[in-house]
Amino acid sequence: MKKVLLSLLLAFCAFSLIGCGTTESYEIAMVTDYGDITDQSFNQTTWEAVTDYANAHGKTYAYYKPAGDSTAERVAKVEQAIAQGAKVVVMPGFAFAETIYEVQDEYPEVKFIALDVAEGDVFGCFYVDPYAAEPVLKDENDQPHISSNVVCVVFQEEEAGYLAGYAAVMNGETKLGFLGGMAVPAVQRYGYGFVQGVADAAAEKGVEVELWYIYGGQFFGDATIKGKMDTWVEQGCETIFACGGGIFTSVLDAIEGKANCKLIGVDTDQSKSLPGKPVLTSAMKGLTDATKTCLDEFYGSWTVGGQVINYGLKTNTSKEYVGLPRDTWSMEAFTIAQYDAVLAAIRSGEVQISADTTAKLEDLANEFITYKNEDLGGSIK
Amino acid sequence: MSEYVIEMRNITKSFFGNVANDNITLQLRKGEIHALLGENGAGKSTLMSILFGLYQKDSGEIYKDGEKVEINSPNDATALHIGMVHQHFKLIDIFTVLDNIILGSEPNTIGFVNRRKAAKRIKALSEQYGLNIDLKAKIEDITVGMQQRVEILKMLYRNNDILIFDEPTAVLTPQEIEELMKTMKNLVNEGKSVLFITHKLNEIMAVADRCTILRKGKCIGTVDIKDTTKEELSEMMVGRKVSFVADKPETKATDTILKVRNLSVQSQISKKLAVKNVSFEVKAGEIVCIAGIDGNGQTELIHGITGLTKLKSGKVYLKKKNITDAPIRERSKHGMSHIPEDRQKHGLVLDYTLEDNMILQSYWETKFVNFGFLRRDRIHYYAEKLTEQYDVRSLQGVKSTCREMSGGNQQKAIVAREIDKDPDLLIAVQPTRGLDVGAIEYIHKQIIEQRNNGKAVLLVSLELDEVMSLSDRILVMYEGEIVGELDPKTTSTQELGLYMAGAKRQGKEENK
Amino acid sequence: MLLLILFIVLLAFLLKKKRNVENVKQNIIDAARDEMEVVKTKKQFNKEWFKDFLKSEAFKNILASLVCVVLGLLIGFIVIIIVNAQNSPKAIMAILKGPLNAVKWKKSLAIVIFKSVPLLLCSLSIIFAYKCGLFNIGAPGQYVIGTMFALVAAHAFDAPWYICLVLAAVGGALWGIIPGIFKAFLNVNEVITSIMFNWIGLHLLNYVAGPDMDLMYNLTLAECKKLPVAAKLPTFGSEAFFDGSSFVTVAVPIAIVLVIALLIILYKTKFGYEIRATGFNKDAAKYAGMNYRRNIIVTMAISGALAGLAAATFYLTDYEIYSAVKQTSLPAMGFNGIAVAFLGCVNPVGAIFSSILITYIGVGGSYLDTTYYSSEIGNLISAIIIYLSAFSLIIKTIIGKISFKKKSKKALKEVKEADK
Repeated sequence: MKKVLLSLLLAFCAFSLIGCGTTESYEIAMVTDYGDITDQSFNQTTWEAVTDYANAHGKTYAYYKPAGDSTAERVAKVEQAIAQGAKVVVMPGFAFAETIYEVQDEYPEVKFIALDVAEGDVFGCFYVDPYAAEPVLKDENDQPHISSNVVCVVFQEEEAGYLAGYAAVMNGETKLGFLGGMAVPAVQRYGYGFVQGVADAAAEKGVEVELWYIYGGQFFGDATIKGKMDTWVEQGCETIFACGGGIFTSVLDAIEGKANCKLIGVDTDQSKSLPGKPVLTSAMKGLTDATKTCLDEFYGSWTVGGQVINYGLKTNTSKEYVGLPRDTWSMEAFTIAQYDAVLAAIRSGEVQISADTTAKLEDLANEFITYKNEDLGGSIK
Repeated sequence: MSEYVIEMRNITKSFFGNVANDNITLQLRKGEIHALLGENGAGKSTLMSILFGLYQKDSGEIYKDGEKVEINSPNDATALHIGMVHQHFKLIDIFTVLDNIILGSEPNTIGFVNRRKAAKRIKALSEQYGLNIDLKAKIEDITVGMQQRVEILKMLYRNNDILIFDEPTAVLTPQEIEELMKTMKNLVNEGKSVLFITHKLNEIMAVADRCTILRKGKCIGTVDIKDTTKEELSEMMVGRKVSFVADKPETKATDTILKVRNLSVQSQISKKLAVKNVSFEVKAGEIVCIAGIDGNGQTELIHGITGLTKLKSGKVYLKKKNITDAPIRERSKHGMSHIPEDRQKHGLVLDYTLEDNMILQSYWETKFVNFGFLRRDRIHYYAEKLTEQYDVRSLQGVKSTCREMSGGNQQKAIVAREIDKDPDLLIAVQPTRGLDVGAIEYIHKQIIEQRNNGKAVLLVSLELDEVMSLSDRILVMYEGEIVGELDPKTTSTQELGLYMAGAKRQGKEENK
Repeated sequence: MLLLILFIVLLAFLLKKKRNVENVKQNIIDAARDEMEVVKTKKQFNKEWFKDFLKSEAFKNILASLVCVVLGLLIGFIVIIIVNAQNSPKAIMAILKGPLNAVKWKKSLAIVIFKSVPLLLCSLSIIFAYKCGLFNIGAPGQYVIGTMFALVAAHAFDAPWYICLVLAAVGGALWGIIPGIFKAFLNVNEVITSIMFNWIGLHLLNYVAGPDMDLMYNLTLAECKKLPVAAKLPTFGSEAFFDGSSFVTVAVPIAIVLVIALLIILYKTKFGYEIRATGFNKDAAKYAGMNYRRNIIVTMAISGALAGLAAATFYLTDYEIYSAVKQTSLPAMGFNGIAVAFLGCVNPVGAIFSSILITYIGVGGSYLDTTYYSSEIGNLISAIIIYLSAFSLIIKTIIGKISFKKKSKKALKEVKEADK
């Protein structure tokens, strides 16, 4: 027994000594937010885009997971990535605003790609209390700015939402629901776009549409949220836009075995990740495209430095940064040709979609829409 | 064929360099009752454990019927037909007598226990040895004496020839002891050999053929009982002359110290009434002894008086003050000392040092506490003084953990603590349980001194000798009631035994 | 089927029998101890402190804890080898280096110190209750209530940090008292009550810190608003030592003072005497007339206050902003406190070392190269070590047995030599 222990210990020490060799270096780094790269959502999509890009271009890459949900930990991981040779760091999620503030000027030679981080999020970090009536700067000589080694990416989710809502009504659905995750601006924009799309299509077709609208208060499904969905389905709701991370599971549970009931996915083409489930379509946001575009910029001329890019249909008329999935198209009454037509209308400015999340839901509706739930626009939790 | 059925030659066994058995030789003849006598700590248990295979000897040899054997485990011992009746029976309460006897060596027919076959054999055995037993009764329903018979049958059922009895009489009534003695004689008459561990001289004189005496790990000698006397044996055991009769001058009982009226207490386990409407008094300058067989309500009665258990009904007065509902601390302050029945459960915090245990009843007094902080120096000094005065021995002085101390010294520590409180009422429950002759003598002296100093003493004891020699009055408890008040000077042990067994009781009117 | 039942019954018989043998053994060992004592009292003892220390319980405790840590690392190492053998040396090195992996290691070290403080306080909470014979599994609940009191004081009343700290302790104490009262007066097991109160506490906090109450909720980020500056724990210039990291706060000296205070209370005061007596032997405490009920309640209050304070030292900084939405399960801090307490030999001083060690290794785990080891492996390794630390009692028993064997062998030798 003693000998076994001793030899194990020796082996342990020997290995440890060998371990003091060189560390490998990774050029492209991604730091996850509080989720993991297997979250079937934001982190995973971004990570897949990074690996895709790196493999295609023969670059080295790695991801880093912070030890806690805290800016200090995220900064530590960014620093670790840089120490391991990262030249560009991809950061998915609005939680990174403060991290950007901390690292952008400290590491001017490193480029940062921040997805879903808005200008206001970063600027707020320059103040002691950004919500004060008269915000005070932390450092008088440090005015709010986004440095030239940073590019922030936001998406026009309202356009994706609009397309999903428009397509659903044009396809003949008349009893629709919107279940958001948390009422963060990105989710709200999806929802408001969705309502506008539904309203426009209803007016165009001249049909009455019933609409339910609520937020779950979290990005995952559970019994309480499923209960709410059950009520909706009983009230007649048929097509539900589950907009927020894993919250779609509650919708799927509620519509299980109910004919006519369908799910509208979000962010990615969820008919691919949910084979065999009744997924009508998905309101996609082009994380993959955006990530790859920014990485292209990094290896190209980096003209986007210091900017906040708003990826939408009008950004680049040859790319669909937001939209519906074409290769898994399953709608019959609403065709791809019709979809192309509405895309063109948005791009040309013929159709205007409001991104104002302070508006009231009632104001977005027209006479063809009837809101069905009493807690309209509220939060389950 | 050798003269001896078991011969342990020159056995030496040490623990951590301390010799527990030093070159001991024990020879057991076939068909004899051989007593093994010694104080606690003399090495009896170690020697028997070696024979039973629980310990391995360091040196020496064991012979069975003249052949050298190695006993490395209890299984080896069983294979050599060596069996042991333990002081605390190893029986399962809710099983029947039959099942307990066959437990572990069930006769089976294709996987099923063949009880009929077993019952037949046991019946034959019990007739052969005169051991009356009801095979269908459950252990929890039969008397302690009967339980012991079950243990004996268990050994016989396993064809054991050498039977070791480890202090078998500690839990029995005088009648039961007599019965056991008869059984032992029957056993040897049928060719069995008996090793009888005890420190009770009367029993040895009554039943044993020969006796080997151990003292402090050494073999003092083996004597023929018919050639010796009780006094000689005890001198060999202790190493000096021992006085058996406690020196007890006449005193006069004066003021009533403790008054108990119509006390009823529930058993905490069964929730039945364990003490039923008991009334008595204890006066200053007398020792009142509550006698009875274990489990007849003595424990509950004392718990009721000392406040460890809530009373069902009744009243308790201490020095005319009603303490029926008083907290334990208040009783203690008002002059009650309690040497508890279970020294390890109640009497000591085993993981505390000796000095911390010495102040268990007085740590809150201002002499030991200053603004909430313990006065360590005073505590240390006090504990040193007390251990010296009462001869409490431990390995590392007052800094020893009580868990590391021997039972006798633990008990002495409690006695020292409780007596030093200078109480008006001393309640002592089985204060000498499991102690050796020297310690018993000492504690008895202390108790009598309390009485002589005009204190009231309430003693609970299961030992008849103790009851008879110490008490001024005896109250016999049977099934939760006081069935008799006796005067030790005019009562015989036999009569006392009849009361204890419930065979005799005084009328209620006499009970006052 | 019948045969099976019979088999089980027989097995039960055998086990019972075995236990009987164990009992006999125990009796005999007791008897042997009696016998030893007679001989031993005469023997002079070696007073060399070092040898005494090697023989002492404390040494066994420390050794057991060290064995646990090494064992945990070994098993972690084996897991690493199974996942990817080639890079295992580098990986184990990363775990051992902990915060030193970072380029700005001082900053990383500051985080280790920062996280150790609440962990230490939680384990002090467990230790204190344990000394009174109570198992305060309610530490997570007291921790969340501490969070609630601290945050409400900071956000709703603009209280300064010291008031927030005190209120957090009060909150934790309240949450500790409840199971204490149930235990003292109704004899309800404190483990059951406090587990239930853990969840009640969490949901209460999530209600107060959530969107419905709208007291301090930041709808956009779905977490609490930024901590007011006044409530932030002061650092007294420690940033200078830690590369600008502001996480080494006044909580560190507070924790050290509390460790000392706890030691004094436990071993020098009348109250500590009662607490430990109750913990060692409830019956004896009752026999000695100690106020069992009051002691239990006061102990639970102090224990709860420590856990509540732990939360305040964590949330009254910029490190993490509490999010009622994300925190849907009980914080691991309270539970890890249990492991830390046992790894630290249930001793306040030991807990200082074990809490730092656990945090240190946790940070190390996050430095595993994610190309070869998914991020879960890092967590797994720290979890293994935490889990094994709960085994320190078993290890201690094993060590005890080994040293017993050794001693007997040595004694035997001595006797044999003496015979010659």
